[in-house]
Parts: sequence; C-alpha cells; structure tokens
Amino acid sequence: MATEPRIYPSKRSRFEIRDNYWKWIFLLPAVAIILILLAIPVLWTLYAAFTDLHLYRIGDFDTKFIGLANFEKLLSNRSFWRTVRNTVVFMLGVVPAQLIIGLTVALALNNITRGQKLFRTWFLMPLMVSPVVVSFIVGRMLFQEDIGPINDILRNMGFEGVPWLTSPTWAMVALMAIDVWQWSSFMILMLLAALKGVPPDLHEAARVDGANQLQGFWRITVPLIMPITMTALLIRIIDAFKVVEIIMVLTGGGPGQATESVTLAIYRTGVKGGDLAFGSSQAYFLLLVLMIFGGAYLVMTRRAMGKD
Amino acid sequence: MGLSAQKRFRTIVSYFILLFWSFILLFPMYWVVITSFKNAIDMSIKATYMPFIDFQPGLHAWRYLFVDRLTWFLDPFMNSVLIAFISSTIALLIGSCAGYALARFDYGGRNNSIVLGFMSQRMFPGALFILAFLVMFRELGLLDTRLSLIIVYSSGAIPFIVWVMRDFFEGLPIEIEESAMIDGANRLGVLFRIAMPLAAPGLVAVFVLSLIGAWNEYLVALTLTFREAITIPLFMTMQVSQTGYTEWWNMSAISLVSVIPVVAAGMALEKYITGGLTFGALKG
Repeated sequence: MATEPRIYPSKRSRFEIRDNYWKWIFLLPAVAIILILLAIPVLWTLYAAFTDLHLYRIGDFDTKFIGLANFEKLLSNRSFWRTVRNTVVFMLGVVPAQLIIGLTVALALNNITRGQKLFRTWFLMPLMVSPVVVSFIVGRMLFQEDIGPINDILRNMGFEGVPWLTSPTWAMVALMAIDVWQWSSFMILMLLAALKGVPPDLHEAARVDGANQLQGFWRITVPLIMPITMTALLIRIIDAFKVVEIIMVLTGGGPGQATESVTLAIYRTGVKGGDLAFGSSQAYFLLLVLMIFGGAYLVMTRRAMGKD
Repeated sequence: MGLSAQKRFRTIVSYFILLFWSFILLFPMYWVVITSFKNAIDMSIKATYMPFIDFQPGLHAWRYLFVDRLTWFLDPFMNSVLIAFISSTIALLIGSCAGYALARFDYGGRNNSIVLGFMSQRMFPGALFILAFLVMFRELGLLDTRLSLIIVYSSGAIPFIVWVMRDFFEGLPIEIEESAMIDGANRLGVLFRIAMPLAAPGLVAVFVLSLIGAWNEYLVALTLTFREAITIPLFMTMQVSQTGYTEWWNMSAISLVSVIPVVAAGMALEKYITGGLTFGALKG
C-alpha cells in the first residue's frame, strides 16, 4: 500500500526534509517507551533467573551467578508443577466453555434484528468490570457457602449446598465460572463480528443447491469465521494462562494449593517472598509457554494485515 | 414448506438464548445492588432476594461510604481517577502519533513488522514485569507513588493504541491531508488539525479502553503501591483482609462506585468500544 504522500515537484526538497523529521518524531517516543519498559524487564528477568538475586539483598553486591540452578530447582519443584497443572486445568475449562457460549450467543444475536444493539451493549458490561470486583461479586457473594444465593437456591430445590470454597475441585469450578461470566462476552463480540462478515447470499446459494442448514453452517459459516475464531481463542488462551486476580480475591490459591496459578506462584515467590531469582525462572517458564501461543497469535494477526 | 415457521422458531430460540445469557450477566449485578442496601441482619440467617419483601432496604452502607468514611475512601478514588486519566492521555498522545506515522510514512516496508513488534507485548506475562518493576521502581525511589503506575499503565496501553489507530488512520482519505500540505501546513498541523478530528471515534474508543484498563488493573498496583498511591481495586481487597470478616453491604457499595463509571462510559460508547475491542480481527 502506498502510504507516502505524493510529492509535488515545486516544494519537493523542503517537503521531504521536514516530513522526514516528523516521521521519526511521531514514531520514536512510542518505540522508545516500549523498548525501555518491555526490553529492560525481559532482559533483567533473564539475568535474574541465572543469579541468586534476593529482594532484601539488592545492593549488597554479593549476587552470584549460579547458572542453571534456578531452572533445575524449577524442574524438581513439585509445588510449582502443581500450579502449572492448576493453570492448564483452568485454561482447559474456561476457553472451550467461552467458545461454546460465545458461538451460541453470537449465532442467536446474528439471527435477530430487533434489539440486537441493546443486547450487544449489555453483553459489553462484564468486560468493563475489574476482575477484582467480578471475583468479589460473582465469587465471594454468589458462591458464599452459607448465605450465598446459589447454595440457597440449590437447597430450596432439595440439593445439598456445594462447598464452593472449601473443596479443591469446587473452588476451581467457581473460579472458572467467574472467568466464563466475564470473558464469554469477548468471544460473543468477536464471533458476532466474524458472522457479520459471512455474506448471506452464500447460504442462499447453498440452500438452492439443496444443502440443509447444518451443512450450510459447517461448510460455509465455520470456514469463514475460522480466522477470527482462532485469533479470539489464542487471545483467551494467553489471558487464561495469566490468570491471577480473581484467584487472589476468591481463594488466595487455596484450599491448600488447589487453585494457585503460575502467576500467583511467581507473585508469592518473587514479590512476597523476595526470591527474585527463583521467581524470575518461573516467569521465564511462563513466558516460554506463552510465546508458543503468542507466536501463533502474531502469525494470525500478520495474515489479517495481509498487505505491505 | 414451513420455511417461515422454521424461521419463527429460530427467532424464538434466539431470543430465549439471548435473554438467558442476559439474565446470567444481570443476576450478579442485581445482587450487588440489593446487597448494598442490606443490613447485617438481612444476611445473617439466609439469603434474601427481594427488597421490601424479603428485607427492608437501608442506606447505611452508602452513608458509611459517603459520610462516615468519605476521606478514607476519597484518596484511593482520586488516585484511580488521576492515574487512569493521566496515563491514558499520555498513551493516547504517544500511541496515536505512532499509529499515524505507521499509517502514512513508509519505514522501509517494515510497517507491519513494527506494528507486530508492538503487539508482541500481549504475550509477555504480567508476572514477569512485576518482578522487574518492583526492583526498577525501588531503585528509582518511586515505590508507592502515582507516577510509577502512570508510567506502567501508559506504556501498557501504547501498543494497543498504535495498533487500532494505525488502522483507523489508514482508513482516512489521504487527499485532504495532501491538499493541506500543499497549502503549506506541516505534518504536525495535518495530524492535529485534520487527521485527529477525523479519527475522533477511534481516539475516543482507545482512550476509554485504556482508561478502563488502568482503572481496573490490580497486579501491578498490588506490587508497586501499598499506602499512599493505592487504587480502588487494591483498596477493596485491603478492606476484606483488614476486617477479617466481610462487610458485604459496604463492599457492595464500594464495588458499585468503582464499577458504575466505567460500565456507564463503556456502554454509552458501545459502538466505538466494540470496534476497538474486536479491531483488526474484523479484517481477517
């Protein structure tokens, strides 16, 4: 794409010089800030992961390089792998649920005309609420075991109250429910945008050719919405791997260690415990995992850009 | 043969699904609103659902928040307001300039790569940053200051703004800018007098989205601030842990005060916000 303005001969030289100047003035501040605040932490953490750096000993100049010791510790650290497992379980629980809800609601939304804008606006709501508040409202209040409405309704229906926060399994379910409540809207809006890009006459043509609706959905809709769906899924997978706030507010990682995520473990090790070195090695492990999905996300985004 | 009946059936099912999900989203919000009007007694025995029927609503949580403890709540509230507005303004200014530059200038055919470089920020875990930021801002003597959060949040919002605004500026007609430049305007004038006003919907969207991001952020705030510069989310969790038991009604009132401004802003600007959230993917 021709992004450069056409240059007119009479003013050419003055124009180019002055424009070249702005070209860099506009771009460089953003690049500089991102480089400083992205590259420095990334490199510093890499450095820290190979040392025995501790928060309370910074400036003592006795920090030593200890090679791969932190990573060896990481591999044999059962408690860390427990948090990795928790995070993967969480991700595998929430992302498919959000995809199913997102697709169902987006299809319904695409199917109606009256009130579509109203629903769309309302579905935006959970995305605006902070995870802390969501976890407090949905988690602590609704899932409260004694007087929370969910258990109350269950009891009125003749079931036992569920030990939402005291049982390891149910605590994880409660956390997943919070995330699904908040982030399904993201899938809904992304998939609605994708569905709106499917030309209706394609379905018309397929029907004329004798395809039924299910065939039309699988053969026409699904392939066409696939790129956006993949992008949305990758974004949700990356975010699910980073989960921490709702856990801090609802369970604090408990009961025991049953709902502790990787990020929570890093916070506890590095910030609370001050063991920056070991925390950094954990952070790098998480970064490596995210780079797999992040790389795929960038490829999808690059493809969406197309040109240039 | 039954095509319109089938269509009507599909419409009914669609509305049923939409109303069901709307209810799921509504219920927690309804619950937090009624809880903010409850008294301790209304929550001591069993769940109560309907004001005036199940329980007698009272204003004491709201009085507690806005009268008794106003000063104590006002600090984090003002911190949140200042940090969110200043960081979003900085990010908007720097990010939209870069977005404009990437839309209008050629950087050796690498414009897309530069944008992707910005976007790669998404895959870096917050957990990695908090460790480095803790040390960085400690060395700079900036722990527990608003400035530290302003720096972090504005840098956090820039990539997203660059990405969205670049697309937005690319969609604007270049002819107006060209003719302005022939008339002797320089780039700065073109950007601020012509391109920015035309891109106002996009600017509003990214500004509000970065406001919301800063307003709601928790992990970095938890790491970098602890008393003077705390923001609302941090203040909320501190209340729970300090009192040991939860004063549900007060917490509900605080939640609502923190949620209503951003939800109202987001929903009022729905068209732009949804565009901002799903941007880029739309072109896929």
